[in-house]
Amino acid sequence: MSRSFDRIASILFILVGVFFIVESRKLSSTAYGSGVGPDLFPMGLGILLILLSIRLIFETFRYPKEKQEGKTLDIKRFAIILFSALLYALLMETLGYVLTTFLFLVVAFQTMERGKWWLSIILAAAFSVGVYYLYVNILKGTLPSFPF
Amino acid sequence: MSVWEYLYNGFLVALQWQNLIYAFVGVLIGTAVGVLPGIGPMSGVALLIPVTSTLTAGSSAEEAAASAIILLAGVYYGAMYGGSTTSILLNTPGESSSVVTTLDGYQMARQGRAGAALSIAAIGSFVAGIVSLVALVFLAEPLSNLALKFGPAEYFSLMVLGLCAVSGLAGHSMTKALIMTVFGLLLGTIGVDNVSGVARFTFDSPVLYQGLEFLTIAVGLFALGEVFKAILEKEKNEGTIAKVGKIYPSKQDLKQSAAPIARGSLLGFFIGVLPGAGATLASFFSYMMEKRISRHPEKFGKGAIEGVAAPESANNAASGGAMIPMLTLGIPGSGTTAILMGALIMYNVQPGPLLFDEHPQVAWGLIASMFIGNLMLLILNMPLVKIFAKIIDTPSKYLLPIIIAISFFGVYAVQVNTFDLFLLIVCGLMGYLLAKNDFPLAPLVLGLVLGPMIENNMRRALTATGGDWSIFVTHPISLLFLVIAACWILIPLILKWRGKKVLVNEEG
Repeated sequence: MSRSFDRIASILFILVGVFFIVESRKLSSTAYGSGVGPDLFPMGLGILLILLSIRLIFETFRYPKEKQEGKTLDIKRFAIILFSALLYALLMETLGYVLTTFLFLVVAFQTMERGKWWLSIILAAAFSVGVYYLYVNILKGTLPSFPF
Repeated sequence: MSVWEYLYNGFLVALQWQNLIYAFVGVLIGTAVGVLPGIGPMSGVALLIPVTSTLTAGSSAEEAAASAIILLAGVYYGAMYGGSTTSILLNTPGESSSVVTTLDGYQMARQGRAGAALSIAAIGSFVAGIVSLVALVFLAEPLSNLALKFGPAEYFSLMVLGLCAVSGLAGHSMTKALIMTVFGLLLGTIGVDNVSGVARFTFDSPVLYQGLEFLTIAVGLFALGEVFKAILEKEKNEGTIAKVGKIYPSKQDLKQSAAPIARGSLLGFFIGVLPGAGATLASFFSYMMEKRISRHPEKFGKGAIEGVAAPESANNAASGGAMIPMLTLGIPGSGTTAILMGALIMYNVQPGPLLFDEHPQVAWGLIASMFIGNLMLLILNMPLVKIFAKIIDTPSKYLLPIIIAISFFGVYAVQVNTFDLFLLIVCGLMGYLLAKNDFPLAPLVLGLVLGPMIENNMRRALTATGGDWSIFVTHPISLLFLVIAACWILIPLILKWRGKKVLVNEEG
């Protein structure tokens, strides 16, 4: 158990709770034909979330001493894939499904392990074109098409 | 109509050729999901919801719902079969409910009896699946009829009970589990309020009017979260895969496992029906029970076939049992059933007591297809187990990016906007961080699915009494549910306080 993570998380959850309470005070407290308004449930939950988070903060003081974790995290690999996933989401509608998926997959395959470019390219092309063709031409769904 | 007629009609639905294919594809993918370490049944089911919804797009709503749930349920119980394969061959459980199987299964594999262990696991799973289905058939109607007498107050209390049960048993810290439940409930309030039509927490942005899509959150938290974990922590399959050897068990093996399979099935079923206690606990308890009543308890841990037969039967029976509260009461007792329920709701099919009246095709079609699916799994698993064992070798460098691409495709195909893609990534990050720090994810999903229904029932009950809260404790059934809910939270706390170790359920 990570003490610092749990404390930060508790504080964030308290903020979430406060946010929902503040926002639900702006809602009307009664609704037509209903004894209780739309504000009651979220407000009650917000209070509950704050109470539980405070309890969690108190619990963190009783945690046993932290052990150093032996695992090293591969931050670089993860950052590249996360960044390309964000770009993938951002550009999907402008560049189209096939192009963005292809690029994302090639980058991700190569980030996972360098080398074997041809296999990466073939797999990425097969997946992106295959899914697009199956979904748009056979199942008649909508995906962003090519930019040209 | 009698149970038999309903079941007959269910078989008519399940035996339609497209549904046979869906069931087959479901159990096949499920087995693969179970075999692959790192993808659990929850992420497998979540990942396939959008894929099934695109596949079933052409048929009518009722048929589409039946086909989709047949496939998704196939993934769920297929994963229970597949999970044993890696436990036995690799000493690495494919999912948490087959952790105990490693104790004796891997020992058997080292003694060259891997084939016997695998086939006993498959036979046990099959028997357990059938036992729990027969119970499901006979319990479905009486339970639905009972639940039909419930008013909004009773429903509210029952759902509170479901949430408390899952939070009480999930993960190591109950506070964290409760935080996740409440957080899930809060996320469920975003969007246009069903009762008053007021937009809540939307900030006038149209993407939020419908609320946060359950599908996006489930795929993000489970599937993407697990992928992120695998990328960051560089999981590797270490150890060598044991040879499968002769597949069919000897007469002696069969004789020794018959009784443990029967006991495991029954125990697993009853544990599965209880909300919160799922397949992991069921397999654990049945292993301990076998060890206790065995005449040779010293054999356990050294390759006792009973130690494979009992827990594998129990976890399958539990996954069948877990369907009962979800289908008949509309209260999912675990993460995976919550996801299945979310999928049904996406098709406008509301699980609960009315399901068997309003959508007999879906409910009985599902039950009948589970009979067929279990049979398919037995046939698939006995001769093909050597092929499935090869799936373990799938290189993760290709698998992980493709899982990301599939989740992107699925979410975009259903939602058709990029907002959900960003939400997906955020949920993936959250899923990784929360799960890593012992915040259980299943209660969050459960809260998200049950949230709108809890609120509706609460407000309906309060409207009927003009805002008098005593309705929840003056109605006897409602009071009973609330008392049980309180016990579920308090008893583990008291036990912990007195220094006892409490078993927790770490799964979906």
